Amino acid sequence: MAPGTGGARLVALNDAAWRSGLAVGDLLSNARSKVLGLQSREADPAADDAALHRLTLWCLRYTPVVAPWDAANGADGLFLDITGCAHLFGGEEKLLADLATRLRHFGLCPRLAIADTAGAAWAIARHGDVDNAIVPPGVQQDALRDLPLAALRLSASAQEILCRLGFRRIGELMRQPRAPLVARFGASLLERLDQALGREPEPLSPQEPPPCYRAQAAFVEPITTQAHVVEAATRLLCELTPALMRAAAGVRVLRLLLFRPDGEVLPLQIGLAAPSRNIPHIARLIAMKLDRLPAGLQAEFGFEAAALHVLAAEPIRERQAALGIDGGEADSGEPAGLAPLIDRLEQRLGAGAVRRLHARQSHIPERAVAARPAADEPASDWRIETPFGIRPPLLLPRPEEAADIMAMVPEGPPRRFRWRGALHDVAHAEGPERIAPEWWHPGQDAPERDYYVVEDTGGRRFWLYRAGRYRPGHAVPRWFVHGLFP
Amino acid sequence: MQLIRNSGGPGARAAGRRSDTPSAVPRLLPSNPQADDRPHAASFANDAGDSRLAALRRTVARLETGWLGAPPPPLSLDLPDIHRHLPDAGLAGGALHEVSAAAYGDIAASFGFTAALMACATRARRGPALLVVSRRGTDVGSPYGHGLRRLGLDVGRLLLVETRTGKDALWAMEEILRADAGAAVVAGISETPLDLTMSRRLNLAASAAGTPLLLLRPPAATGLSAATTRWRIATAPAGRDRFEAFAGWRWRVALERCRNGRAGQWTVEWDHVAHRFRLAEVVADRAVPAGTGRARHRRAV
Repeated sequence: MAPGTGGARLVALNDAAWRSGLAVGDLLSNARSKVLGLQSREADPAADDAALHRLTLWCLRYTPVVAPWDAANGADGLFLDITGCAHLFGGEEKLLADLATRLRHFGLCPRLAIADTAGAAWAIARHGDVDNAIVPPGVQQDALRDLPLAALRLSASAQEILCRLGFRRIGELMRQPRAPLVARFGASLLERLDQALGREPEPLSPQEPPPCYRAQAAFVEPITTQAHVVEAATRLLCELTPALMRAAAGVRVLRLLLFRPDGEVLPLQIGLAAPSRNIPHIARLIAMKLDRLPAGLQAEFGFEAAALHVLAAEPIRERQAALGIDGGEADSGEPAGLAPLIDRLEQRLGAGAVRRLHARQSHIPERAVAARPAADEPASDWRIETPFGIRPPLLLPRPEEAADIMAMVPEGPPRRFRWRGALHDVAHAEGPERIAPEWWHPGQDAPERDYYVVEDTGGRRFWLYRAGRYRPGHAVPRWFVHGLFP
Repeated sequence: MQLIRNSGGPGARAAGRRSDTPSAVPRLLPSNPQADDRPHAASFANDAGDSRLAALRRTVARLETGWLGAPPPPLSLDLPDIHRHLPDAGLAGGALHEVSAAAYGDIAASFGFTAALMACATRARRGPALLVVSRRGTDVGSPYGHGLRRLGLDVGRLLLVETRTGKDALWAMEEILRADAGAAVVAGISETPLDLTMSRRLNLAASAAGTPLLLLRPPAATGLSAATTRWRIATAPAGRDRFEAFAGWRWRVALERCRNGRAGQWTVEWDHVAHRFRLAEVVADRAVPAGTGRARHRRAV
C-alpha cells in the first residue's frame, strides 16, 4: 500500500488477496473491512527496482538481451529476446517451463508468454487467460483479437475515450478504418497496435550491453570452490577461442556471471590492458579477482551455472615470433609479456597502479609531467621535451615551506633555512631560474617563483624557491622546498 | 689450472664448497682505508694469479647461481676500481642488489644512485625499466620525469608501479621478475623489513629472470639478507666546473657486502652529460673545497 487520494491505497496484491475480491487502487480501509486479517506493507519502489534488476541479471542465463519493463510497461516485468536461444534449452516450451519452475521456486508467481513481438507477449502475459502461453509465429492477430483494450499499453485518457465510444476488444479496433482513428487519437494509438502486430519495430533497451561473444554452461552439481569456478571459466574461454581466432580478435573487457540456485547472481568484470586470448592469463586474472572479492566467494549452496560474456573485443596484431638469434627480436614495441603483467599488477594493486610518465607542455614543474595509467596510453617521446633549467629527480607532492630563512641580500639565495625541523647551512647555491605563472590558465594569480639549487654543508641538495619578490611595504615572500637532488 | 678443470668435472661441488673461504671475507665490516693492505690484496699485482683467481671466482659464482648456459652479462659501472671488488666487471646481471641510505637526509642520494644504476641498465639492456614505489615507503617526494631524464634515464621506457604497502611492493617486484616481461631492470622502494626468506625469494626470482633487481631500503634497515651486494650511500659535496657551477652529483658509496667480492668505499661522481660514473678524486680535484670532501673521506682504494 502507498498513500493516495483519500488515504492509503493498495498498489500490489498477492494471489490470495486477489482471489478474495480486492483490486489494485482500493482504499486500504475499505479493503480491511472487506477481508478479515488483511496484512499490508508499505510500498518500497526502490527495493522493487533492485529486485527487478537482480532478476534481470539472473535472466541473462537464458539470453543476453534482457530488458526490464520501463514505467510505460508497468515496471514490473522483463522482456527476454530469445531469438536463437530457445534451442539451447530444447525448444520454446521447455525454456518456458524451465523459467516458470525456477521463478516459482524463488517464491514468485510468474505469468509468461512467448510471442513474435514484445507488445503481443506483454498483452498475453497480462491479459491472456492461460499461463505460459506460446503464440505460434504469425498468428498474434488472432491471439490479440479477444483481449481488452488495456492490453495495448495505451494512455489512460485514450483508453477512457475509446471505452466511451464503445470499443471493448482489440479486434473491434483492428476492423476500423485507420485514417479516422489517426485523425481522432493521433499516431500513438495505431503505433501501439502496429507494434503489437509486428508492423512496426519496438526496440528493447537491455539493462546490460549485449556481449560480442558469449559462452554458457550449466553444471550437473553446483560448484562451490574457487578452483572449480576458475576451471569452469577456463572451459568457457576455450569454447570462445575459435570464434575469437576467426575474427582475429582478443578479449578486452570480460564478464563472468555465476548463477546461484536461489536467484542471486555474482557478476565479475575484468578489463585487460591489451586484447588477449591467452587462456591461462585470463584464468589467472579471474582467480585474482575472486581472491580480492570484498565479501569472499559467497557460494552458499554453490553455483549451478556460469556464463562468460565478452563485452569488448579488439583486433590482435599477430607478431612474428623471435627467431632465437640474439638481435632477431624486433625492438620496436614492447615485450609481449608486458601487457599481461600490467593486468596482473592492476588486478591486485588496483586500477591505475601501473603508470607511465608523460611530458606536458608547461613551465610549472608540477604540471610538466603527468602520470597516466600504462594501459591507457603508449609511451610518449621524451626527447622533444626538455625544460631549460635543471630539475630534481624527486619532486615533493606539494611544496613545503622552509622557515627561518636567512639571506645575505633580499633577492639572493638563502644562507640558512629550516626544513622538516632540521637547520641547513647553505654552502653553495645556483640560480635563480624564474618561472612565471601561466596567465592563460584562469585563476592563476600566484606569484612568480625564483628557483635555486642549494647545497648544504653536509652535501644535501635541495630545490628551493621564493614565491614572489621583496617589495618595500609588502609582506616578506615565503620560501618553499619543492624537490630534492640526489 | 688444475682447480679450474676440476670444477667442470664430477668434483665440481666439492671445489665449490672448498672455495667458500674467499666469499666469507666480504662479510666483514666495511673496510677502513687501511684495510686494503691485506695480504691477499697484494696478490692482485700478480697478473697470472689475478686471472686465475678471477676464473675461479666465476666458477664458484656459476655453481652458486646454477646457471646452465651463459649467465646474463653484468651491469657495468665503468669503474675499474669498483669492478676489482666485484666478482665480475660490474653488478651481477641476475641478482638482488640492496641500496640503502646512510641517514635520513641521504635518502635522496640513495635514490639518485639507484636511478643512475637504472640509467646504466636501460642503456645496456633492452626492455622497459620498472620502478615499484610503496606509497608509505618514501616521504621525500615522488619520481619526477624531467629530473630522471637529467640523470640519463630513458623515461619513455619507465613504468611506475605504485603500491599501498611495502608488502605489496615486494610482491609486485617478484611478480614482475617471474613474468616474462623482458624488463631491463627492476627497482623497488619498500619500507617493509626484509627477512632472509623474502630476500632469497627475490634473489632467486631475479636470477631466474636474468634481470638486475635494485632494492632501495630505508636508512635503518639491518638484518640478514640474501642480496648479492649491499651498498650504503651518503651525500658528498657536488663536483663543480671551473665556473663554480654544479658539474656532477657526488656520493660516498660504500660497498658493505658483496658475495665473492670485497667491501670497499669510494666517492663517486655521476657525470651529468655523459651519464656515467667516475671516481670523484681523479677528475675534479680542484673543485673540491679544501677541508670539506677530502679531509673527511680519505680515498679508500
